[in-house]
Amino acid sequence: MNGALEAGTAIYVALAVALSVWIGIFIYLWRIDAQARALKRELERDRERQARDGASGVPRASVTRMSRAEGEPVEQ
Amino acid sequence: MAERLGQIGKLLIGIWIAGIAIAMFLVIPQYEGLGNAGRIVIMHVPTAWVSVLAFAVSAVFSALYLWRGRPVYDHYALAAAESGFLFTALATVTGMIFSQVVWGIYWNWDPRQTSIFVLLLIYAALFALRSAIDQPARRRQLSAVYSLFAFVTVPFLIFVAPRIADSTLHPNCAFIQGSACDGVTLEVGKIGLLGDRKVQLLGLERQGDIITAAVKVSEPGLSSETILRPSYDLAAGDMVARPEFPGLRYQLGLEAVDLTANSALLNIEAPGTGLLENQRTLVTFLAAIIGFTALFVWLLTLRATLLDVQWALAQREGSRL
Repeated sequence: MNGALEAGTAIYVALAVALSVWIGIFIYLWRIDAQARALKRELERDRERQARDGASGVPRASVTRMSRAEGEPVEQ
Repeated sequence: MAERLGQIGKLLIGIWIAGIAIAMFLVIPQYEGLGNAGRIVIMHVPTAWVSVLAFAVSAVFSALYLWRGRPVYDHYALAAAESGFLFTALATVTGMIFSQVVWGIYWNWDPRQTSIFVLLLIYAALFALRSAIDQPARRRQLSAVYSLFAFVTVPFLIFVAPRIADSTLHPNCAFIQGSACDGVTLEVGKIGLLGDRKVQLLGLERQGDIITAAVKVSEPGLSSETILRPSYDLAAGDMVARPEFPGLRYQLGLEAVDLTANSALLNIEAPGTGLLENQRTLVTFLAAIIGFTALFVWLLTLRATLLDVQWALAQREGSRL
């Protein structure tokens, strides 16, 4: 314990801790960034597909959620 | 191609900030009177500057949202405010560590600490406001207006309030080029304030070219008093002895003497004064500002992308978000 915190080595210990924390944060950010971009790409593809289907006259299904109490559509 | 460049840029941010960490510990020299604690300036000041930039970006996107009404602007405004809050918290924590080393206490409600605490509360209130409103359009509109008003307080709380306070130990004059600790000119027997220390010039003694001042220094709350004896060389026109304030690493300097008026200019020598005059420290400091700004841009785009995705998914699912 004391050996690690002696004046000569303490600064290297502090540097190692700071670098480890930064590497951890960087990897975390990198992974989230990759996942966010993948999700965005997928959503864009989905949107393009929907637009294409709409333009080519492909029959589209629609779902209407009905209110159980009044029997009226609440969402389409 | 753009995506590949973006990836390379992000990788460079990682390497750049790792390089700053290495330089902070191994390349820049220790500063006299501060030891290794002076290294924290490489983290502390750039994070504070980036927080101002982030809040400014948040205000710009809030104004754009109010003008154009596009949800993407609101996403960027929120992402920038969150990043600003994160960087302000980092500046506060690094400042507290410095405060513990130099003032002997983590938090002493110094004007600088108080103003940054108020700033954190103001932006915490923005997040509370957002979470309290369910209707998306209303939430975006109100938080954009709030964000604009919140930004008005930023320059005042960061740049003005700590400087108009007479009693601050924050070394503005140490790190910000162009600003100076003015000191206090006292006639013998008169009382003045340096930082949060009351000082009284008891007398001036001359021995050849050396003038020594006897200065009574009182602790905040007048709990104890000490006599310090800074001195000044008339021939060289420079300070000689600069004793430290009791329990602090701040020094008391005798910057000028007027023997005819029997008065002296006393000043506080903040730790870190002249820190950036060292070339290696200055380069590392500037590199840290660039690195943290780039990191902010990355965080901003990443968080805004996540908010975009969240919003698009919510729209697809047909729910309101």
